[in-house]
Amino acid sequence: MTDNLIDKAFATHPKPDSEAKKRALALALMEFDAVQETQALEKQATDTQPAEGPAAQKDPAPQKKLSGLQGFLAWLRLMGTHNPNRTDSMNGNAFTFAQKKLLISGLATCSLAVVGVLLFQQMPLHTSSSMRDDLAMSKEVRRPEAAAGADQAVEEIIVTGARELEIAAQYSPAEPMVIAEQQAMSAKRAQETARLAMPASPMPSAAPASDLAVVPPPSEFRDRFAEFQENSVKAVSEEPVSTFSIDVDTAAYSFVRRNLNNGYLPPKDAVRVEELINYFDYQYPVPSDKATPFLPSVSVMDSPWKTGNKLIHIGIKGYQLPASAIPRSNLVFLLDVSGSMHSPDKLPLVQQSMELLLNNLQPEDTVAIVVYAGAAGTVLEPTPVKDKQKILRAVQQLQAGGSTAGAEGIQRAYELAEANFDSKAVNRIILATDGDFNVGPTGDSDLQTLVERKRDQGIYLSVLGFGQGNYQDAMMQTLAQHGNGVAAYIDTLSEAQKVLVHEATSTLFPIANDVKIQVEFNPATVAEYRLIGYETRALQREDFNNDKVDAGDIGAGHSVTAIYEITTVGEGKPLLEPSRYATEKTRPADKLGDEYAFLRIRYKLPGEKQSQLIEKPISASQSITLDKVAPGSLQQEAGFATAVAGFAQLLRGSHFTGDYSYDDVIALAQKTKGTDDYGYRTEFIQLVRKAKLAKAM
Amino acid sequence: MTEADDIRLAQQGDRAAFEALLSAYYDTIFRFAYKWCGSRADAEDVTQQACIKLARTLTQFRFDSAFTTWLYRLVINCAKDWQRSQSRHWGDDRPGEVVALAEESDAQDNPAETNIYLQQVLGILDDMAEGFKETALLVHGAGLTHAEAAGVLSIKESTVSWRLHEIRKQLLLLQTSSAPLQEARL
Repeated sequence: MTDNLIDKAFATHPKPDSEAKKRALALALMEFDAVQETQALEKQATDTQPAEGPAAQKDPAPQKKLSGLQGFLAWLRLMGTHNPNRTDSMNGNAFTFAQKKLLISGLATCSLAVVGVLLFQQMPLHTSSSMRDDLAMSKEVRRPEAAAGADQAVEEIIVTGARELEIAAQYSPAEPMVIAEQQAMSAKRAQETARLAMPASPMPSAAPASDLAVVPPPSEFRDRFAEFQENSVKAVSEEPVSTFSIDVDTAAYSFVRRNLNNGYLPPKDAVRVEELINYFDYQYPVPSDKATPFLPSVSVMDSPWKTGNKLIHIGIKGYQLPASAIPRSNLVFLLDVSGSMHSPDKLPLVQQSMELLLNNLQPEDTVAIVVYAGAAGTVLEPTPVKDKQKILRAVQQLQAGGSTAGAEGIQRAYELAEANFDSKAVNRIILATDGDFNVGPTGDSDLQTLVERKRDQGIYLSVLGFGQGNYQDAMMQTLAQHGNGVAAYIDTLSEAQKVLVHEATSTLFPIANDVKIQVEFNPATVAEYRLIGYETRALQREDFNNDKVDAGDIGAGHSVTAIYEITTVGEGKPLLEPSRYATEKTRPADKLGDEYAFLRIRYKLPGEKQSQLIEKPISASQSITLDKVAPGSLQQEAGFATAVAGFAQLLRGSHFTGDYSYDDVIALAQKTKGTDDYGYRTEFIQLVRKAKLAKAM
Repeated sequence: MTEADDIRLAQQGDRAAFEALLSAYYDTIFRFAYKWCGSRADAEDVTQQACIKLARTLTQFRFDSAFTTWLYRLVINCAKDWQRSQSRHWGDDRPGEVVALAEESDAQDNPAETNIYLQQVLGILDDMAEGFKETALLVHGAGLTHAEAAGVLSIKESTVSWRLHEIRKQLLLLQTSSAPLQEARL
């Protein structure tokens, strides 16, 4: 019976992960080369000769040498492990010192011979021995499969690939210095760093989707999403006014992308339509100065998923700060280094993301780092960015382990931000976590209160989400919403690049706070309306004019899009039955007969308490069609937003999209993707295809 | 080319031979490491360490035992190093985390039940004196005979048998006396 238990326990036959295997083999081979190299160097006892590895390996070389050296010396000494049960450590095989000595001298003699040969051939010393020829040959032989592997990777990252290269380019200047620092660290540490530095391989984006069918959905979702019901159709006669707060978060899109890249459809509640739409940058008209921080662009078009219905498309584009107007930043990173962050798509990605952001900050900006795990601790006091090496060193040394004391960590972070508070600067805490705040008295609401209080003092909070399996989306949304920050989900290095480099200004510098949108529909022309998305951002009608009520913020250059679907009086087929007892007294004046609705936007300029109002009528005269799409036009942008909205609703299993299909989404997106500088829209089209496949399975 | 040739070539610095050797043994090492750690991520780490260590120390293999014997010694050392570093980092909240991690990451290749048994047995083995875990893993996990395991661990065959007997006693104790405890572990 007991044997049974043991056998049952060991009856597991896990299949090794081929990626992990490749990685391990590559590292071991690097080590192998290093050992060979070091042996050659040791043997000659000449350190004047530079070790010229093959060009491709040049970068990791300094690390390699260090660990190789240790590796080489390691066999000279008995392993220092303590050994109470007489278990033989592998080096204990009666290796007497005399034998070692013989061996060493033997090696030395060999090396002399090697040097002789090399000198004779008058070749620069770039091989450790003549065996290197074999090595070169074997490399030739192996090349085809290596190339095949590379091709696979390339195929997957068509879109992201270019950006990965950019990133690599940006990285490299700092790298040698960092490596020099690392030489002082232990060999183990160096190896770990080497693993992190390996291009793309630990990054989920590079590998997983190469084969859609392979990865099954996790049997159990621990990711936590707030449930919400899709906005339903409202009768204008009953509820003519719709009010909501804008939302500039993008987390939902990255999360959905990650799911689709892994070959399965995302959980319904993870799909927040507005976040998918707002993930993309739209070229709406931009205001020319800071006093009016944004302009609304309005258009009306036929609904692609229900004939007779129309879509009202409201686009807002924030004013882009000129470089000279960018304020100083006082940033405190609050990093989760708990055990759950111990995964290549979490802490290492956090570290890489931070390095990206560092490259993008001004020299006088300050950065501090607080970590939380079993206990919270300050890793780095506020340090100016011009002292980049110090910051990088602190980032490199982070390690995951322990449980999560988020509450204590967040308090510590606020203390640091306050200590360094600058009323002219942007004071912001950037929380990077997979969502666990599970130690300490930390209901989501307690934290929320803290975040709100600090927000009013001028310290904002943004959240970067990482990882999957335990992702606490609801909590992150709450924190970012109440901290006047952005919640972004970082699934790949290129997403980090998007959020922290391309959109750094919008992520970091708000130009308008508490932006609320209110649309009043004209009962004479509109029978029904439905707001697409923004379910979690709905406001009460009376909240609109109440400046005490918090709402979303717009960063410099941000674009925000909202779409209403309306059924016009007379034209469409309303879903709602007309009320039998309603009186017909609400007929408006005839001169407004052409208007569908009236748009009001309230916002506060940063630092102000009083809100300002923008008003704009929405009428049939703003109609556009998608028959001909000029590049850079409003049609194009509205069209693409519509495609994304359609896709998001399909993913959510919406009841309102009729026969609209993924193919329709692809067609529309293809037509409206425009120049697509960073490839985000092309990536979107690929995602739709993946969703189609995932759904078919 | 035989395995011995591969080893010899690799010892002389032949990269291809070394790669062939590694690729042949990676799966074995990984399976062993998996049974030691109980979770995929950790097993991958240990396996990686073992591969790197192999690169450094292959020259020390003298052909005076079977290669697998020598290899298992190396892997056990790596696994122990890992265990020590874990206990340093994790403190006492570790066991719960292990279970959680393992359940999550391995649902795809193991029935949950097996995994629970594995966690349970590992929990007991980790509590026992040093030497017991590797004995159990070599015999029950890797399928070595008592004699082979004795060779790997450089102990007497009778010691292997005795240790396995002790382990069985422990497991029996757990199963009969403390059903509640068992549930608590689950």
